Amino acid sequence: MKYVILIHSNPQPWGHPTDQLTEEGRAQSQEFHDASGRAFDALMEEINASGEFVTAMALADPASSTLYGWSPEQTLRTDGPYAESKEQLAGFFMIDCETRERAEEIAAHFAQPGGTIELRPSMWGDGDDQ
Amino acid sequence: MTATTSESYEDVWRDASPQVLAALVRRYGDFDACEDAVQEALLAASRQWPDEGVPDNPRAWLIRVGSRRLIDARRTDRARAAREVAVADEVAPGGTSEHDDSLTLLLLCCHPSLSRPSQVALTLRAVGGLGTDQIARAFLVPESTMSQRISRAKARLREVDAPFALPPPVELPARVAAVAHVLYLVFTEGHTSTGGSGLTDVSLAEEAIRLTRRLHDLLPGDPEVAGLLALMLLTDARRPARLDASGALVPLAEQDRSLWRRDLIDEGVALVEDALPRGPVGPYQLQAAIAAVHAEAGTAAATDWAQVEVLYGMLSALTPGPVVTLNHAVAVGEARGPDAALAMLTPLFDEPALRRTHRLHAVHAHLLERAGRLDEARAAYAEAARLATSVPEQRYLQALASR
Repeated sequence: MKYVILIHSNPQPWGHPTDQLTEEGRAQSQEFHDASGRAFDALMEEINASGEFVTAMALADPASSTLYGWSPEQTLRTDGPYAESKEQLAGFFMIDCETRERAEEIAAHFAQPGGTIELRPSMWGDGDDQ
Repeated sequence: MTATTSESYEDVWRDASPQVLAALVRRYGDFDACEDAVQEALLAASRQWPDEGVPDNPRAWLIRVGSRRLIDARRTDRARAAREVAVADEVAPGGTSEHDDSLTLLLLCCHPSLSRPSQVALTLRAVGGLGTDQIARAFLVPESTMSQRISRAKARLREVDAPFALPPPVELPARVAAVAHVLYLVFTEGHTSTGGSGLTDVSLAEEAIRLTRRLHDLLPGDPEVAGLLALMLLTDARRPARLDASGALVPLAEQDRSLWRRDLIDEGVALVEDALPRGPVGPYQLQAAIAAVHAEAGTAAATDWAQVEVLYGMLSALTPGPVVTLNHAVAVGEARGPDAALAMLTPLFDEPALRRTHRLHAVHAHLLERAGRLDEARAAYAEAARLATSVPEQRYLQALASR
């Protein structure tokens, strides 16, 4: 089953890795960031080797996005960001795990200062008949 | 030279590819490089055969082209290359049988040092003769991810120095079980996720059946391999009835059974009836036996649920777990009524592996409905719909919730 791990964060200025650029992240020591960087590399190595990693993408500043609204008369095009909420979608990872528990175990490693991690299962166009 | 369609060209080279790979590995060692060379030979076949026709001896042709690629890659001197190519023209691999080679190759691709997804990818490429792009599309992952997975798997085999030889007899049952599990995963991926979507050019379900047939031919006396093949055939037999004209999923109980593939059912039933008395009984044989009970019922109402209940009881004893308990409860509900089944369900709501799956709530809803607790049933159907991760299943459950 495929899942996405969505990273919601608000780095200032916008950038990656997001956890070093949030207010809460800046409050952490260099040792903290070094250790979490190493832990992240180890996690990537692990899920690459296990075949669970599918793909990932870091996203540019939400200010650079273009939004398309719709009304019966016309499509409305405006410049981003999508919402003035504190946290924005900063990037995502797609993983493919045998169980939900395993996906949760991986997603938990993404917890970071100044961000919220969301794990969402994918939906398929087909299903089991039982 | 024979005139053939492009589909049968592919059948020819994919059937030949494991033997070609085995012949190259026997001659040159270095599984990794030989595997790449076979892929290049298959690519050359896909370019040349449609224009020039299938060679009289396709395997010899592929071995020759593969050898050449291998030698080019090694940049050996011309004289040696010529000698090697001359040798490669002799097809018969010396010393061992093709039978052993095919089995050795399957076991190597499912080597215990590899993760399951790597075993799956390598088996489809090296034994199935599929290209990395085809495998990637079938599993809906980027080609770069699949390519990296296959390279890592081959590097890992080199690292652990896995030999191209049959394992000692004492290790064989566990190694064969790993192959069976890999083929089962390929089948379920094809059956429940991407089958019939038209998005991919490879049917994983058909590929799994093809490779399991080959494994069964290699090990006709292994009852679990026979059971696995039977399970796949009996499940695949329902495929024409699984979707209605609008593409919506039709549950087993409501399927038009006249659409089921009788030929596959007959073959599957014969396989499982032959395997079961031979023993030892394993989970694939039991699941096949359950599928056979469904296949042999003329209508859903005529299903022999008492027998299904017994079979799930045996499966539960053999491989206990919450998913088996859930299926067992369904059979108990049908055989003995909803109350006994509801009692079996209660502890499952605390199971982390199940409590947020739609299936637990869908079964719960169905049992509540049968017990006449309609309000609770509606709420449980709604919860199941919320948790469903398949679009047709979700639509179906939403419809039940809003009756």
